Amino acid sequence: MKSLKKWKWTNLYLIFVFIMLYVPIAYLIFYSFSAGDTMSNFHGFTWTHYQELFADTRMIQIVVDTLMLALLSSLIATIVGTLGALAISRTSRPVVKNSILSLNNILMVSPDVIIGASFLIFFTALHIPLGFLSVLLSHIAFSIPIVVLMVLPRLQEMSNTMLDAARDLGSTNLQVLTRVIMPFITPGILSGFFMAFTYSLDDFAVTFFVTGNGFETLSVEIYARARQGISLEINALSGVMFLFSLVLVVGYYFIQRGTKSHKAKLKAKGAVTNEATH
Amino acid sequence: MKRLISMAAIILAAVLGLAFWSHSLAKAQGATGDNTLNLANWGDYIDPALIKKFEKQTGYHVNLETFDSNEAMYTKIQQGGTSYDLTVPSEYMVEKMRNAKMLVPLDKSKLKDLSNFGALYMNRSFDPGNKYSLPYFWGTLGIIYNDKFVKPGEIQHWNDLWKSKYRDNIMLIDSARDIMGFSLRSMGKSMNTTDPNTLALAKAKLDQMSPNVKAVVADEIKMYMAADESALAVDWSGEAADMMANNSHLHYVVPSEGSNLWFDNLVIPKTAKHFKAIYAFLNFLTNAKNAAQNADYVGYSTPNVAALKLLPKAVRNDKQFYPDEDVIKKSEVYSDLAPKTVGLYNDLYLEFKMYRK
Repeated sequence: MKSLKKWKWTNLYLIFVFIMLYVPIAYLIFYSFSAGDTMSNFHGFTWTHYQELFADTRMIQIVVDTLMLALLSSLIATIVGTLGALAISRTSRPVVKNSILSLNNILMVSPDVIIGASFLIFFTALHIPLGFLSVLLSHIAFSIPIVVLMVLPRLQEMSNTMLDAARDLGSTNLQVLTRVIMPFITPGILSGFFMAFTYSLDDFAVTFFVTGNGFETLSVEIYARARQGISLEINALSGVMFLFSLVLVVGYYFIQRGTKSHKAKLKAKGAVTNEATH
Repeated sequence: MKRLISMAAIILAAVLGLAFWSHSLAKAQGATGDNTLNLANWGDYIDPALIKKFEKQTGYHVNLETFDSNEAMYTKIQQGGTSYDLTVPSEYMVEKMRNAKMLVPLDKSKLKDLSNFGALYMNRSFDPGNKYSLPYFWGTLGIIYNDKFVKPGEIQHWNDLWKSKYRDNIMLIDSARDIMGFSLRSMGKSMNTTDPNTLALAKAKLDQMSPNVKAVVADEIKMYMAADESALAVDWSGEAADMMANNSHLHYVVPSEGSNLWFDNLVIPKTAKHFKAIYAFLNFLTNAKNAAQNADYVGYSTPNVAALKLLPKAVRNDKQFYPDEDVIKKSEVYSDLAPKTVGLYNDLYLEFKMYRK
C-alpha cells in the first residue's frame, strides 16, 4: 500500500537513467561470450575469450600492477589528504583558508591532459625515470585534492564543544586527535580512500603521459591495443572488472555499515560506563 | 583510530602481495635483470609466438611496450626516461629522428642476412644506404572497392574517383598528407610537392570531388567498409587487408600511375643499451622463415624477399599487396616536409573538408 502511494513519475526518469548507464556495459559483457571475432554479430556461446584472457600473462600482470598502484597511491593520498584537511580546518584566518581551498579545487577542475603534461615536464626536468615511481607519484598527487574534499565536510560538521569537552576532561592534544577527531571523520576518510581508488583505477590521461619503461596500466594498454581493433578478450576483461567493482561496492557498503554499528556499540558502552561511575 | 590503522595495514599487506604476484608473473615471462631487450612496437604488430621462440633460442627476455602513433613514441624517446632498445617508426619519422640525432647507426658487420631484403625496399630517400634503419613492413595507399557496387576493373586510376556515378559513395581516410597526395598524383605531380600554387590547384581539384565523398573518417572506416556502407574508400593497404578479412566482397587497387609507399622500420634509438640482444633480435627477424611467419601473422607486405618466397603462392602473387615493380617504382615515399609546408597541407585539407558541395 505504502509503496504504491510512493510511486511517482520521477521514478520513471530514474529507471531511464539507469538503463542508459548500464545497457552499454551489458552490451560489452554480452559479446564477451560470442564465438565470433567482432561485436557485429553474436555467433553462439563460448568461454574462449575468458580462457585467452587468463592465459595472457602480460595482461594479468598489467591488471595486477594497476590494482597495486591504485591501492598504494590511494592509501598514501588518503594519509596526506587527511592531514591536509586537518590543517585547513584548523587555519583560523579565512583568507588563507579560502585560498588554500581554492588551490585545492583548481587541481580538481583542471583537465587531466594538462596535469599529465605538466607532470611529464616536471619529471623530465628532475631526471626521474618514467615508470612505476613516476606514475605512483602523479596518482598520489591528483588523488590528494579528492581526499581533502571528502574529509573536510566531516571536520566542519564536528562541533567544537566536543573538543572542548575532551580537553576539559584532561586529554592531551594527541588523545583529542586519535580518540575524538579521527573516529568522527572515519566515514569521510573511507569515502575519500574509495574515491581516490576509483580515480586511480580508471585514469587514462595522466598515466598516458608519465608511464614508460615497460610499466603499463590497464587503460593505457587497452588504448594501445585498440589500434588493431579491440579483440573480444578486452570484453572478457571488462566482464571480470565489472564483477570486481561489484564486489568492491558491496565491500564498501559493509565497511560503512561496520563503522556505524561500531559507533552504536561504543555509545552503548559509554552509557553503561557513565552509569557505573555515577 | 585503531580500525583505521588496521585497515591501512591490510591494504599495505595487499599491496605487498600484489607486488609479489606481479614480480612472479614477470619472472614467468622470463624477465631476469640485464638479459633483456626493450622493444617498442605498434600494438599487435609482431607475432607473439616469434617473441617466445626468440626468448627460447637466445635466452634474452623481450619487454614489449606498445605505442599508437609515431609522434607519441618520438616524444617519449626525446624527453628521456625511456630505455627502448628498438623501435618501429614510419619512414618520415625515421628521417625526423635521424635529423634530431636520436638514432644509433647500424653496425652492418653484425647483420647476417642483409641480402634477404629486396633492392626495391632498401636505400630509400628517408635513409640513404640504410645507415640507421631496416625495413619491417611496407605498403601502399590505394582504393578499396566493394564488388557488390563496383565492377572489378572499373577502378584503375586516381581520376576514376571523380566520376559522377560514384556520387556520395566514397569514404576517405582522415589524413592530410594522403588525401592531398592522391590529388597531386592524379595531376601527375609529386606527392612531396612544396609549391603553394600546385597545392592550391590540388585542393581545388579535391573540391570538385566532394559531391562523391560520403564521409571523411578515421579508424572506423574499416568497420564501415566491412559493413557494406560505402562502395569505395581510399585507405592504406594494411587497413585494406583488415577490411578484406571481414568482407570477401572488398578488393584493393593501387592505381597504375603510382601512389604513396610507406615503410615501417626497425631502428635503434639513442636510449638503447643492450646491443648484443638488439643484433640477435634483428638477425632473428631478418631470418627468412621468421620473417615469413611474422608477415603471415601481421598480414602486411614484407620487404624480405627471401621470406616472400616461403609464403603461399596466393599471397606472393597478389597484385593488391605486392603490386608490379613499375607501379612501385612510380610510387613515392613521403619526405619529412618543413613545418611551414606541413601547415599549408593541413590548412588546405581542412578547407577541403569544410567545402560545401
